[in-house]
Amino acid sequence: MSGALSAPIANYVALSGILFFLGVTGVLLRRNPLIMLMSIELMFNAANLLLVAFARLWTQNVGQIFAFLSITVAAAEAAIGLAIVVVVFRSARHVDVDETNLMKG
Amino acid sequence: MIDSLYGAADWSAITPLVIVAVTALVVLLMDLLLGKRVGRYGAIILGSLGLILAGVVAAGGYGLHQTLFGGAFVLDGFTVLFEEVVIIGALGSLVLFGAIGREDRVAGATALLLWSATGAMLLAGAGTLLTIFLGIELLSLALYCLCGLAPRATAREAALKYLLLSSTASGFLLYGMALLFGATGSVTLSAFAAPMLAASPLFWAGIAFFFVGIAFKLSLVPFHTWAPDVFQGAPLPVTAFMSVVTKAGVLAVLARVAYSALPPQAASALLLPLWVVAGISMVVGNVGMLAQTDLKRLIGYSGVAQVGYILVALAGTTAFGLRAAIYYLFAYTLMNLGAFAVAAVLSGDGEEGTQLAGYRGLGHRRPLLAAAMTFFLLALAGLPPTAGFLGKILILSAGVASGYLWLDALLIIGTAISLYGYAKVIGAMYARDEHRSPTTPRPVVPLAWASIALCALALLLLTFHPFASSVLP
Repeated sequence: MSGALSAPIANYVALSGILFFLGVTGVLLRRNPLIMLMSIELMFNAANLLLVAFARLWTQNVGQIFAFLSITVAAAEAAIGLAIVVVVFRSARHVDVDETNLMKG
Repeated sequence: MIDSLYGAADWSAITPLVIVAVTALVVLLMDLLLGKRVGRYGAIILGSLGLILAGVVAAGGYGLHQTLFGGAFVLDGFTVLFEEVVIIGALGSLVLFGAIGREDRVAGATALLLWSATGAMLLAGAGTLLTIFLGIELLSLALYCLCGLAPRATAREAALKYLLLSSTASGFLLYGMALLFGATGSVTLSAFAAPMLAASPLFWAGIAFFFVGIAFKLSLVPFHTWAPDVFQGAPLPVTAFMSVVTKAGVLAVLARVAYSALPPQAASALLLPLWVVAGISMVVGNVGMLAQTDLKRLIGYSGVAQVGYILVALAGTTAFGLRAAIYYLFAYTLMNLGAFAVAAVLSGDGEEGTQLAGYRGLGHRRPLLAAAMTFFLLALAGLPPTAGFLGKILILSAGVASGYLWLDALLIIGTAISLYGYAKVIGAMYARDEHRSPTTPRPVVPLAWASIALCALALLLLTFHPFASSVLP
């Protein structure tokens, strides 16, 4: 079991890099806050994948614990995020970050 | 079981954090059980007492040097001083909530504020990536809610903006942490100083992502655009809290990483981009400040530059630089809280006194208030009779001692630009203005006045007491 990854570590790093890049692209390009929140989750999950893969490589369980911690935090973040999106939607009847532009300068 | 893993020293080290977090629960419970009978001041008084108690207990840990919870929490003079900054910042913002917050929301706001402060205090002593992540998220998650508390469209917009941008920053931070873990096989900061890591590309990539996340949270220049908007939209006490506590917490992490968690031969190369960004921030923040018409936006831009100043002190990673940075952070905390307390006194029902147009002729209508505001603005600008000046001198000499002269030059240029911005506000306060009828005097806000007096007094003490040489680690 010790340190045996079913594929070379480079594959995990590459996959997580792609996931992270997709997440960043989503945040930058999509204008719907819900999609942006999902993209942020994708960034978090890319990091989780790395953490778990490296935990296996180094046989250090702290990486897995870290992944659990970040999953929990991501859930809390999503709960608060959706609540804020609902509040904005209720008052403005639209959720588009290009139209939430009362403040500028 | 837990007792066998961690001893009394571990628990006593985090007692201040526990006190603050538990006070938040007690405040909520009291609001639930007693409700209106304790009124708006119940939550504020209880919260303040909790914070003061935590501050006293934390001060007891000064002089210790312990690594606790298997390296997760480090207790030393550095930790204690940053905890105290956070406590002072939280206390100042809490008092402002008491002065102008809405009655039905004070208890909830107090609890969220205390939890957010707990996160920042955790950051002060964080010794592993896990504690850093947990602290930053605790700090931020509570703040997202606090931002949206005011019943205005701009507050909701601020909450949404802050949520999306800050979460993205957290994503960068977490990804950087995952890479750092991959490079080292450890999450303990002290493991990152191993010399062989200097040749590891994973480590360099990890530090890069980590610093991008940190720069976002500190609102340093390419990632500063959220700060003025969020500062303007959030309720006044929350803006005061964000401008002080968030910066203190994240700066503590940055200083600890820069000072003790990098391989020595690569440290200056790894940190250089950060100092460059700090230098640009000092100029861009101060230029952005000039055109602002709202005090909260102005402080938002000025905060971008002020963080830059503090980073100049850290640039050489010398012990003297750390002292200068902590000194300036204390002074910055007090002058920001003071300026916001003045705005709180000027606030009307449902309207915050942050429009700079409302300050016109203030020196004739309310001389004492205008004098206090002038004092705080002079401190922010860094002019002689204030702690801001002494702090800047310390920072400049730290920069000279460590050879970062170009940063010193940028600091002076930034300060010169900022003088115009602050002087404009001061000039407006003392201008004769017959067109504007004097505003109706508001019922006195004793809490905000107390806050102004305390901030001014503490700033004066900081100027004349040799704090920097006697207390700092």
